[in-house]
Amino acid sequence: MKIVPLEAYLILSVLLFGLGVFGMIVRRNLVAILMSTELALNAVNIAFVGADSHLGLLDGQIFALFIIALAAVEAAVGLGIIVAIFRLRKVESSDELTDMGG
Amino acid sequence: MEVLIILFPFIAFLLIGLFGRRLGDLPSAIIAVLGSALAFIFSIPALLKALSSPFSVKLYDFISLGSYTLTLGLYFDPLSAITTSLVCFISTLVFIYSIGYMENLFGQWTYKFYAYLSLFLFSMLLIVLSDNLLGMFFGWEGVGLASYLLIGYFHQQKYATNSAFEAFVMNRIGDWLYLFGIFSIFYLFGSLNLLEIFSKVKEIDPNLLGLAVLLLFGGAVGKSGQVPLHTWLPNAMAGPTPVSALLHSSTMVAAGVYMVARLYPVFESAPQSLKVVALIGGITALFASLAATSHTDIKKIIAFSTMSQLGLMFLALGIGDRSSAMFHLTTHAFFKALLFLSAGSIIHAFHHHVHDIYEVGGLKKYMPITYAAFFVAALALAGIFPFAGFWSKDLIIASSYEADFGLGVFVSFVSFLTAYYIFREGFVMFYGPERHKGHFEEEPHEAPSVMLVPMVVLAIGSVVVGFFEGWYMTALKDHKEMHLNIAISSVVIALLGIGLAYLVFVKRVLEPEKLYQSLKPVHTTFKEQFFTERLYHKILAGGYMLYSKVLYTTFERQFIDGLVNGSYVLSSALGSLFKGLQQGRVNLYVLFLLVGFSLLVLITFLGGR
Amino acid sequence: MMQWIAFLFFASMTLLSALGVVFLSNIIYVILSLLSTLVMVAGIFFVAGAELVGALQLLIYAVAIAVFYVLVLTAVPWEKALKKDSHYRIEGVLTFPILLAFYLEIILVFLLGVSVSPKGQIREFIQNLGNTQVVGSILFSKYFFAFELVSLVLLVGMIGAVIVGRKEDKTYEDSTS
Repeated sequence: MKIVPLEAYLILSVLLFGLGVFGMIVRRNLVAILMSTELALNAVNIAFVGADSHLGLLDGQIFALFIIALAAVEAAVGLGIIVAIFRLRKVESSDELTDMGG
Repeated sequence: MEVLIILFPFIAFLLIGLFGRRLGDLPSAIIAVLGSALAFIFSIPALLKALSSPFSVKLYDFISLGSYTLTLGLYFDPLSAITTSLVCFISTLVFIYSIGYMENLFGQWTYKFYAYLSLFLFSMLLIVLSDNLLGMFFGWEGVGLASYLLIGYFHQQKYATNSAFEAFVMNRIGDWLYLFGIFSIFYLFGSLNLLEIFSKVKEIDPNLLGLAVLLLFGGAVGKSGQVPLHTWLPNAMAGPTPVSALLHSSTMVAAGVYMVARLYPVFESAPQSLKVVALIGGITALFASLAATSHTDIKKIIAFSTMSQLGLMFLALGIGDRSSAMFHLTTHAFFKALLFLSAGSIIHAFHHHVHDIYEVGGLKKYMPITYAAFFVAALALAGIFPFAGFWSKDLIIASSYEADFGLGVFVSFVSFLTAYYIFREGFVMFYGPERHKGHFEEEPHEAPSVMLVPMVVLAIGSVVVGFFEGWYMTALKDHKEMHLNIAISSVVIALLGIGLAYLVFVKRVLEPEKLYQSLKPVHTTFKEQFFTERLYHKILAGGYMLYSKVLYTTFERQFIDGLVNGSYVLSSALGSLFKGLQQGRVNLYVLFLLVGFSLLVLITFLGGR
Repeated sequence: MMQWIAFLFFASMTLLSALGVVFLSNIIYVILSLLSTLVMVAGIFFVAGAELVGALQLLIYAVAIAVFYVLVLTAVPWEKALKKDSHYRIEGVLTFPILLAFYLEIILVFLLGVSVSPKGQIREFIQNLGNTQVVGSILFSKYFFAFELVSLVLLVGMIGAVIVGRKEDKTYEDSTS
């Protein structure tokens, strides 16, 4: 049953997470930034599920479920905000939203 | 019962201070007079009781210090009881007088004036009656406070407020010394109660005691305006004239002399300190009378005269003649108050616009009663038989001849000067041409009777009080022989002084103006009090100003402001440095998040190994 | 062996799709890459034996959320975005070494951490009852409160999204547009 070692899951998870963060950093489009966060969340899910199969527990899967639910909320609210920003400002790229800059 | 003496002025102070606005100014004045008069009435039985046997009244336990409990209380013996009656009597008269003097100011919050006067009287009574040094110190400070408030009463005038400040600062130096004197007395005796101190005084090392006593005497120097803390006393004339009368006769300056007399057993046990007392007194006596000969301010001449007479009292105390010093204080209170009240009457006649004796002249026919009062007081001050001053001053002269012939000559010279300067003032103001004509539209008028009655009472006192000498000496358990030759010679010397003044200022044998012109350097030196005031202003105050300025420009401006400005410069530099990081772009924030998270993991990882 | 092959396939496809999500410039391709990534992650879940999570991943993520993104893209005229560069290139180049360092660090930490972590036992009843049933029983017993919280969060998120995204009356003038 347990052929794939935990290390494989973890390395995959880290690589995916790093790609997500990198996407958040380099992406200009707000929607694309939000998509990159989905990558990072999925990476965390992989780590949970992989650790679960390694340890023979189920709590990780439950957390993965919660994360999926929260990702749905995050996507809904985040996309709502993006739509609102676009409607108010007619912009959708992050370098045009620098009002908080010093 | 006896507590009431001290409570009446205090109650008057509270009543006036709290409700004076509602009561109005005249009722406030009447309350002040009543407080003072009641205190006087109640002091009479206390005086009679104290003459038969001294007694103490315990008020309450103030502080418990382990084994020692400091109890505040009153102590009545002939010295304090007589002084109490004197203070209350003079104060009552001066309070009554002030109703007339301040009348033109009624309606301008004058009730404050009476509140201060009552506080002044209360503090002085606390000094006189207190049975321990700390209670005395309370009164000492109260007198300083009240004098500050009263000298600066005309606070719209810059000069008055400055004088009040000066008086306060000079007194503070004295009070500071006095406080340290109290500390050292407590250290030496383990008690502050006067009777306990007197009983233990023989056991203490005279050298240490001398030091403590000199510190106490420093307080007296400040309070009585002796050299070198004298400059406030002439400037205190900025206050209303009743204040000057009160200050100079019975309440403020008398406190110093009284304190030395009160603690006389302690002073006697440290004989070296008495020499210092005598020296300071002698210097002040000469110094002030020289200054008085050349000054032209109506009140300042009398103020210098007070300094000089106080100097004589200290001299008498210093050569071991306590009873005559205190007797001189008593008689002096009468005629000095009278002198000031007469001067105030003249100032009042000119609606408070006259301050120089050369602005007026020939007042004799306009103000006969004031004229009479002034000359009674002047004769008493000069020491002409049978006026009060003769009896007391004669005793001091006699004691100084006994102590040392040179000292006697010195005191005689001072009394010669005294006679000269006071009659100079009198002759210039009451005789001669009417210099005020043309400057003032109204003719000068005699004072109202509310002012005249106290003056007349004091004038009678100035004549009569001298005859109580024998009684006074018995009360203080001292005995004085009358020295006929000294009495006659001192009267002759005083008459010489009067004669000189008469020749110069009435007969004008010498033109005084020309004389002053030709002797200008000497005259200026005397008038400027040997430049002591200038010296204090230039060297001490100026030096302090310079020091402050240097500190301000270097320490304050450079260092402290540098710190403040530097923190601003630093934070704004740091801000502009890190401002670049805050671009407001989400992407960069995530980048920083990544870097920070990596570092955190690294630190945790390395730390965990 | 079969599992290994499946894992390697899904893993490589996941990473490839993720690279597409990060680097492709056309937003439509990005959405498609994201969809592919999510499906491949679901495959990973199946390999790991978490059937319920995998199914939910497919249902919620790959269908609902992806559709949501597409919907938003229709609301936002993304043609405008095409005129601009889709990436911050300088930041990307600068960040790359940091990303590599991050990879190195975390992988090192994981490898070291796994060697000292405890090894659990597969419980018999999981195999008897099947994954879904066991997950359900734990979810509604041990994590019931958390489950309710998550449902609350979902509700609040829904309300928030509606409020944020709805068309407002013009109550103030926008100064920047």
